Amino acid sequence: MAKQTAKNILSMGLWVDNPVFRQLIGICSALAVTNLMVNSLVMGIGLTFVTALSSFTISAIRQFTPKHIRMMVQVLIIAAYVIMVDIYLKAFMPELSKALGPYVGLIITNCIIMGRAEAYAQKNKPIPSFIDGVANGLGYTGVLLFIAFFRELMGFGTLFGVKILGDWWTSWTIMIMPPSAFFLLAIVIWITHNIQDKKSKEVAKS
Amino acid sequence: MKKSFLYPIVFMSLLTAIFTFILAFMEFGTAERVQQNLELELQRKILYVFNIPVVDNSAEVVNAVFEDKITQDEDVFIYKEDGQTVGYAFPAKGPGLWGGIETYVGISEDYSTILGLAIITQNETPGLGGRIGEEEFLSQFRNLDVSSAVEGGYITYRPAAGGNVDAVAGATLTSKSVSTFLNEDIHNFLAERKGE
Repeated sequence: MAKQTAKNILSMGLWVDNPVFRQLIGICSALAVTNLMVNSLVMGIGLTFVTALSSFTISAIRQFTPKHIRMMVQVLIIAAYVIMVDIYLKAFMPELSKALGPYVGLIITNCIIMGRAEAYAQKNKPIPSFIDGVANGLGYTGVLLFIAFFRELMGFGTLFGVKILGDWWTSWTIMIMPPSAFFLLAIVIWITHNIQDKKSKEVAKS
Repeated sequence: MKKSFLYPIVFMSLLTAIFTFILAFMEFGTAERVQQNLELELQRKILYVFNIPVVDNSAEVVNAVFEDKITQDEDVFIYKEDGQTVGYAFPAKGPGLWGGIETYVGISEDYSTILGLAIITQNETPGLGGRIGEEEFLSQFRNLDVSSAVEGGYITYRPAAGGNVDAVAGATLTSKSVSTFLNEDIHNFLAERKGE
């Protein structure tokens, strides 16, 4: 593996190897929380935090972890960080904690965290693993916000709860329901793959 | 050494112990704060139910107004203005779509008017059923006349005959369960009170 710079890792997570539209993981939550921008943003921040720190921890103790119980160890570490986020929100941001309800606990089921732990943190040093976690978290957040932008705008006529479209706009109820996320996500995957394929072909030609 | 039988067990136990300790420590350190948040939240909700204005939402102000005007009798909150009872707030709860919904209902002293409704806990779908927690839905319960309600039909959604409240669009099940348990619990409360 080539020596990885921080910039390299970031661009991998954000675009080239984006968890959602390239690795196709973390999709379940992308479908669930993207009906409002706020939900998506907080989910993204929470996930970034948990992925970065759990990748860091898993990487730090990787040499002492017996191979065959590594998944148990990963789940334990991830769960611990998720609970920390939950406790923190409850104590210091009660309003937000209320608004998010069960979503915080659901961060633990996000495949991205364990996916990165398995694919990256298990084989790399703590600091790059941390950056990799941040990059993937941000890549995930970006896609979520992109989808939420269209869903909230077309479903409610608002962005971050602020009314954007006037009364003339008829809200599309379908955009708030889970099916619309399927369509939008598929469109996102379609477009990004087209762009990336074109690029890789050009590179191959030259 | 990593192939040994004991090592994984010791390793896992040790790791679990460390993380449990950290989490327990955090939980313990924030318990008081969380409790305060919950109490403050409840006080705010009760004041909201009775539509008692507060100058601002800070803990001190809410606390002072609450202490001044509200007394508690078991799970019923009593609102008194200058020694005169204005209304009661009692809990009403039932199953929602995803989890339990807990609310407080305020009713006037002569049991003729619902003063207000506040949601304490709910886990409904954000953006859909979750909108029962929004002002648009809750404000419909402000000073809602129920003196002419037929047995158990305090809350009826429009456009049904005698409808007095609009359901949340796109959240039929949540709306239904809210009206069902509200009607039941209001009925029970009134029956108990009037029976006294």
